[in-house]
Amino acid sequence: MADLSVEICGVRLKNPVIAASGTFGFGREYNEIYDISKIGGVSTKGMTLLPREGNPVPRIAEGRSVILNAVGLQNPGVEHFIKYDLGFLKSKGVAVIANVAGKTLDEYGEICAKLNGLVDMVELNISCPNVKAGGMAFGIKPESIKEVTRVSKSGLTKTPLIVKLSPNVESIPVNAQAAQSGGADCISLINTLTGMAIDIEKRRPIIANNTGGVSGAGIKPMALRMVYEAAHSVDIPVIGMGGIISGIDALEFMMAGACAVQVGTANFTDANALPRIIDEMNVWLDRHGISSVNEIVNTLKLNN
Amino acid sequence: MKDLTATIKENKLIAENIYELTLTLPQKLEVKGGQFVNISTGDSSQLLRRPFGVMKAEGNDITLCYQVKGAGTQNLAGMKAGQTLEILLPLGNGFDLSGFKKVAVLGGGVGIFPLIATIRANPAIDFYTYAGFRNSAAVCLLDELKKSKRLTVTTDDGSYGCKGNAVQAYLADAAELNADCIIACGPPVMLKILKQRLEECGNKIPCFVSLEERMGCGIGACLVCVCKTTEGGNARVCKDGPVFDINKVEL
Repeated sequence: MADLSVEICGVRLKNPVIAASGTFGFGREYNEIYDISKIGGVSTKGMTLLPREGNPVPRIAEGRSVILNAVGLQNPGVEHFIKYDLGFLKSKGVAVIANVAGKTLDEYGEICAKLNGLVDMVELNISCPNVKAGGMAFGIKPESIKEVTRVSKSGLTKTPLIVKLSPNVESIPVNAQAAQSGGADCISLINTLTGMAIDIEKRRPIIANNTGGVSGAGIKPMALRMVYEAAHSVDIPVIGMGGIISGIDALEFMMAGACAVQVGTANFTDANALPRIIDEMNVWLDRHGISSVNEIVNTLKLNN
Repeated sequence: MKDLTATIKENKLIAENIYELTLTLPQKLEVKGGQFVNISTGDSSQLLRRPFGVMKAEGNDITLCYQVKGAGTQNLAGMKAGQTLEILLPLGNGFDLSGFKKVAVLGGGVGIFPLIATIRANPAIDFYTYAGFRNSAAVCLLDELKKSKRLTVTTDDGSYGCKGNAVQAYLADAAELNADCIIACGPPVMLKILKQRLEECGNKIPCFVSLEERMGCGIGACLVCVCKTTEGGNARVCKDGPVFDINKVEL
């Protein structure tokens, strides 16, 4: 058995596999299927200062090897999380990553200040493609990425800040550097790619929001490229995600420079995806005589 | 709740575009009427499982029926006995009919399948069933439906049974029938009309409806399949439902 433990910004994870935001709620439902203390961490459902009802239904559609979603940040608000869900996640011994979004810069600052010292890490959602106000508005231009990172970080004196980058941008390296210069402790990527699915008989988009975020196995090549670019343009750690369905996929992201990974859509295809991916990573590492998963990180050699 | 690999025992066409799929599970699981499963389609490029109400659970076998509608059900229709599918079950709350003795059952189209499981699961209750189909080609599972104390079949075009739909047929009988509960499952428009008609006629008895929505995880984590509640806010169809008190949801 290889050592799968990793450390990100001083936070120890028993393995590098984290449940991705929006696919795992606050962990309770999947804990009915398996003991979620097996996984490295949970990035919570994206939270806002006040509760949000989200978008109308349908909120989901499918393409070949991908899905599209537009939930629109339905969540019970950060106070509810602190009161009712945080204790449960902590009791499971997983790294608790609070994923947060705001409508304004001030909201980002305020929500981060409320979580300061309470969770293991805060992950800034500045790239939600499914809400009109906030989210994406901050995640496109390097100037606004730097500013929202700076404001959020000012409230987080005790808790490391992850900035989650959007793939729907001009330059991943420029945006990664903007997050770093704004004070981010870590970067995660990619959030979903904006897409559309059409009901040909109705001549309408399937999703009520018309567009949705594309995720799932089909986006892995784009995600790998962007994770590689981010990891090679900043000094802070990078958490990689996008289309991971197997232990091999997870290790590829780590070779490209990620020190941990998040897994989202795979949970819908296989409710036991996270523990299975952890087992598969172990098998590959053992077969290659590698004693620690950290030895894989950033070992990709480009062709000449 | 278990995620299992099930072996297909039989997958047969029983009416126009309607298939009956029986799967053998590696273990016996208790499934309540109105509960559903989330099942893979057999095509690994289709990442979402498909939710189907359970029609019958006997020993290690579980039977569900589906209508071929899109790429997923098209693929399922091509699956053969001996092949395997991944199945997460049992999901959702199901119908709780404890305390009721005489129940009116209103099913429309594919909505009849989870109602059949409910009839099978409650032998002590007298069910008065109203099963509505599009036309005679869509009529199926009469043997199962006849387990009711009384069965009324309707078709939209009158090609089988009474012309009309399940809601109309029930309302025509409601006063004489004097049931102590109504359960219903069917297309959104049917449930919407049912809610309106019950309000108009001052219905006093409880009515539980099973809702359908496009789903993601099927277990309440992803918040994709919500419905609006009359108290304000959302309920998760997969976890808080799919069965709801008709007065507590907006249809």
